[in-house]
Amino acid sequence: MKASFLSLLAFLTLAMAVRAAEPIRVSSFSTILTEIAQQVGGDRVAVTGHVKPGIDPHEFEPKPEDLKVVGQAQLILLSAKHMESYVGKLKQATGTQGAMVEVGDGFASLKMKSEKDPDKVVDDPHWWQSVNNTEKAVKIVRDELTKISPADKQVFTDNAAKYLSTLDGLEKWVKSELAKLPRDKRKLVTSHDAFQYFAKENGFTIHAIEGISSEDQPSSKKVGEIVAAIKAEGVKAIFPESIENPKVMTEITRETGVKIAPALYADGLGETGDVATYVGMYKHNVSTIVEALK
Amino acid sequence: MRGSPLLRALLAFIIIGLMGWPLWQLTRPQEVVASTPAPKPAATVATTKAIGLHLTFTTVPKSFVIRHLDKEVWKVTAPAVDMEQQVTLDYPDEGVDLQFHVEWPDDAPLAALRVQLTDPAGDQHEKSVWGKGVVDEVVTFP
Repeated sequence: MKASFLSLLAFLTLAMAVRAAEPIRVSSFSTILTEIAQQVGGDRVAVTGHVKPGIDPHEFEPKPEDLKVVGQAQLILLSAKHMESYVGKLKQATGTQGAMVEVGDGFASLKMKSEKDPDKVVDDPHWWQSVNNTEKAVKIVRDELTKISPADKQVFTDNAAKYLSTLDGLEKWVKSELAKLPRDKRKLVTSHDAFQYFAKENGFTIHAIEGISSEDQPSSKKVGEIVAAIKAEGVKAIFPESIENPKVMTEITRETGVKIAPALYADGLGETGDVATYVGMYKHNVSTIVEALK
Repeated sequence: MRGSPLLRALLAFIIIGLMGWPLWQLTRPQEVVASTPAPKPAATVATTKAIGLHLTFTTVPKSFVIRHLDKEVWKVTAPAVDMEQQVTLDYPDEGVDLQFHVEWPDDAPLAALRVQLTDPAGDQHEKSVWGKGVVDEVVTFP
């Protein structure tokens, strides 16, 4: 009797230990949040990135296999600020018990005119173009993971502190690099309106060829306005983005004589190389801008 | 009327040749030419102006260097607590970024540097740099 009780106790202890060692299942709908969850969670999380690097998050729609994974997830990370138009369906279709966190709603939005409906003002969803916002996102993810596994609080706190220190270093590097570019040359002509947060933090003026989403097509009036602005302000280069077809840009360069700079990463991380990390992606954008405009 | 086969062949060749020339002109690959010649972007006008800098240190550093657009504008190896200097630099309406490199003694406590900049219009702007040891910081004016 005593022996069987001890066996049962040993079995329960082992089962609890195995359960404790199981990583937290995280579903992420942003390449930036996927990296943050991996950095903060370390080996205590298993992160599924549904929006893969190189995929346009404005056009992404979850597939049945995504919904299956989300249904099992303990934490679902969303960019928010209306980036994921499918968020309602996601909740209904998966019946998930996991915490659905709309990270971008945790900090202030820049507002902008909707290209589809110019009378409407919408939130700019590209919050990760501000390092400061990304730091806030790290803290949100750290706190959400801690709620799910309080026993791992110290691990998440330490990992987040380490990553935040990297982001502080990035912020300093950005300021130092941009100091090489005179403030009157900080005019950014991009293929879609994704750099408002970056511009606000670093003293740039934006002329977006398209509207807020890379699906929008620019009107000839808008293209004319941009051509006029480029000529008037002496802009030296314009920037396509990694996901866009720069056809309209080619037309603008023909009209104005400005050069097309290498692509910027607007909507998320790249697939391979340096741009596959947040720091690498951000450094690529800043270096490209400084080199093309100075 | 029928003529010789050689003459008919020659006539056909001439007709094809005459029709072919305008056809080739219409369909040959051409370099696309812009409707209007591409103008050069408006040149940025350099606006070099005299700027007043007034530095006040809580702890005297070993040295400091101030750079603008990566060029040294003021360097002092044994500074005083309070220093003033006129420098000339491009000062657009959008403002300037000044890069400060300050070396405080290793054993000095947290120190501060107050920077007062007098812009070309005579307006004063004040910013601070804090740190210990070697500090590199970019300060934006105004």
